[in-house]
Amino acid sequence: MAAAVAARASISDRLTGVSAGRRRTTVDRTMRTLSFVAALLCVVPLGAVLVFVAAKGLPALSLDLITKGPKALGIGGGAANAVLGTLQMVPIAALLAIPSGVLGAIYVAEFGDRRLARIVRFCADVLVGIPSILIGIFVFTFLVLPFKQFNAFAGSVALAIIMLPVVMRTTEESLHLVPNSLREASLALGVPMWRTVLSVVLRTGLPGILTGSMLAFARAMGETAPLLFTALGSRLINVGNLGQPMDALPLFIYTNAREPIEALNEQAWGAAALLLLVVLFINIAVRARSFGRRIG
Amino acid sequence: MTISLSKRMGALALASAMAVGACSSPAATTTPTAAAVATGPAASAGPTTPQVPSGNVTLAGAGATFPALLYQVWIEKFSTAYPNVAINYVANGSGAGITAITQQTVDFGASDAAMKDTEIAALPAGTKILHVPTALGAVVLIFNVAGVDTKPITKLNLDGPTIAGIFLGKITTWNDPAIAALNPDIAANLPATPIKVIHRADGSGTTNTFTTYLSAVSDDWKNGPGAGKTVNWPTGDGAPGNDGVSGGVKGGDGRIGYVELQYAVISGLSSAAVKNANGKFVQGSSDGVTAAANGALDAFPADFRAAPIINGAGDTTYPIASYTYLLVYQDQTDATKGQALVAYIYWALTDGQKEEKAIGYAPLPDPIQQKALDELHSITTGGAPIWAK
Repeated sequence: MAAAVAARASISDRLTGVSAGRRRTTVDRTMRTLSFVAALLCVVPLGAVLVFVAAKGLPALSLDLITKGPKALGIGGGAANAVLGTLQMVPIAALLAIPSGVLGAIYVAEFGDRRLARIVRFCADVLVGIPSILIGIFVFTFLVLPFKQFNAFAGSVALAIIMLPVVMRTTEESLHLVPNSLREASLALGVPMWRTVLSVVLRTGLPGILTGSMLAFARAMGETAPLLFTALGSRLINVGNLGQPMDALPLFIYTNAREPIEALNEQAWGAAALLLLVVLFINIAVRARSFGRRIG
Repeated sequence: MTISLSKRMGALALASAMAVGACSSPAATTTPTAAAVATGPAASAGPTTPQVPSGNVTLAGAGATFPALLYQVWIEKFSTAYPNVAINYVANGSGAGITAITQQTVDFGASDAAMKDTEIAALPAGTKILHVPTALGAVVLIFNVAGVDTKPITKLNLDGPTIAGIFLGKITTWNDPAIAALNPDIAANLPATPIKVIHRADGSGTTNTFTTYLSAVSDDWKNGPGAGKTVNWPTGDGAPGNDGVSGGVKGGDGRIGYVELQYAVISGLSSAAVKNANGKFVQGSSDGVTAAANGALDAFPADFRAAPIINGAGDTTYPIASYTYLLVYQDQTDATKGQALVAYIYWALTDGQKEEKAIGYAPLPDPIQQKALDELHSITTGGAPIWAK
């Protein structure tokens, strides 16, 4: 009898939502806090990296760092070899990757049949996920081994392979965002397909294509692994000789951060700050553009 | 830029005897002519010193980190004297150096472990590699441990069995009786801190020297991990390169590792005095290595592939020492590069030797230096010696 009363009471409680409501709010609050913390976890590493590299790296930035090459034991040397290497290899990689990426995307988005488009898209997505060291080894076997020479061109090719799917996918996405009515309007006015693609679709999609290309550019700047087997790295300043080994900022950081010499560690931090500033600048510039566009 | 590269690759396909850099030099046309160009000036300048080529040359080398600090100094001095010769040395470990010269992706390799018979068998057919000794160095035990008084311990004596015990993972704390017995002065100050071993992660000539020593002093080691450029470490963490190990040891309390002497000096870490064959505790030093080398002159083999010098006799002899080598093909496919390489090695074997002591390496003993210079005469291009006798 008493149990029945209790049961009835709890049912009525549940109906009126007194204790159950409390439970629901606690669960709600806990989960909300947890997801807030999880959201913070995405922000914290970025903040920590920024603060850490800025604190250690900014004091190490100096004119010597970008004007002088490495010296024995790190005394009075700099990272000019790496700065110049990155400034050569990444743009060449971009020249290789961006035209083919954009053209490929145009084909897939505008001309290719749906099945082919799906296959190409799938391959590009897989290519994005392939560890970059494997791309380095792959390029090593056909651009380094046969010529018996580590060379900067092989480094550029490896970086281009990493950039290619990024450029292609972002370009394709932005072409899909171009409203079909624009294409139809253009075609209805008697404009041929190639003209429509060139002056209507591409022009409308241009900001998106630029964004993708810039992001791919920034990504390539920060890659170390594909260069280890291709450009190898170099203590010499190499300008224009793509048949020879060349250094890059990430390689410079990799080799100098593990040296037991303070001066070299400092130069590695300086190079890290430099790389971060450039990559951040590109990222923020790109995001600010697309952000502004969305608002406008 | 791209065009010049593709031109180059085309040239390579046409004349396989011609290596990549040759095309950038106006002197090199076909192999026989280039050989004449290379030997001509050397002969006219007399047999005493090899001639440095007049055009711009870039030499690529890779390998040992053990002599990397010395090589950086050498390359800087040599390139100051001969600005048209640029040398790019990438220190990525002896194992990587042997691989690179085998695959012919560099003009010279560097290793402090002589190539094994199996590695020599893997060389391209019809080629012969020369081992050119350039220097000697000591492998020292660096440690980073705070005493009971919280100050870092700076002096430590170790002997072979104790070192083997530590690297076998049998001696696990710094106040182990075996360590205390060797260090009666500071026995009370030895902390109970666990010992953390830092060893090499990559194929390493330094590892080869050190494990050869461990195998010589400990049967457990000999029958267990054994000696080699890479071994199966019973304990500890791996770090890449001499630089990586010294950085790793510096990174935490209670750590011990093994590096070339100069890496201990520049990282500011203390190194242990090791008991030698005469029962004396000797700190790693250039002189201790020279003593070891002088004691082992008779054992230097005709093919130059000397084993590490372990437990040499003499009161001042440091017991863990090794030659380090440049690995070069006896026949150079590119005459201009070959000429530059011979000139550089000649400089290293003569003027370069004066630099060694100041930065913790030991110069070659005179008889070995002479042997190495004689060996240099045997380097050819297209069959003709680059530096005729």
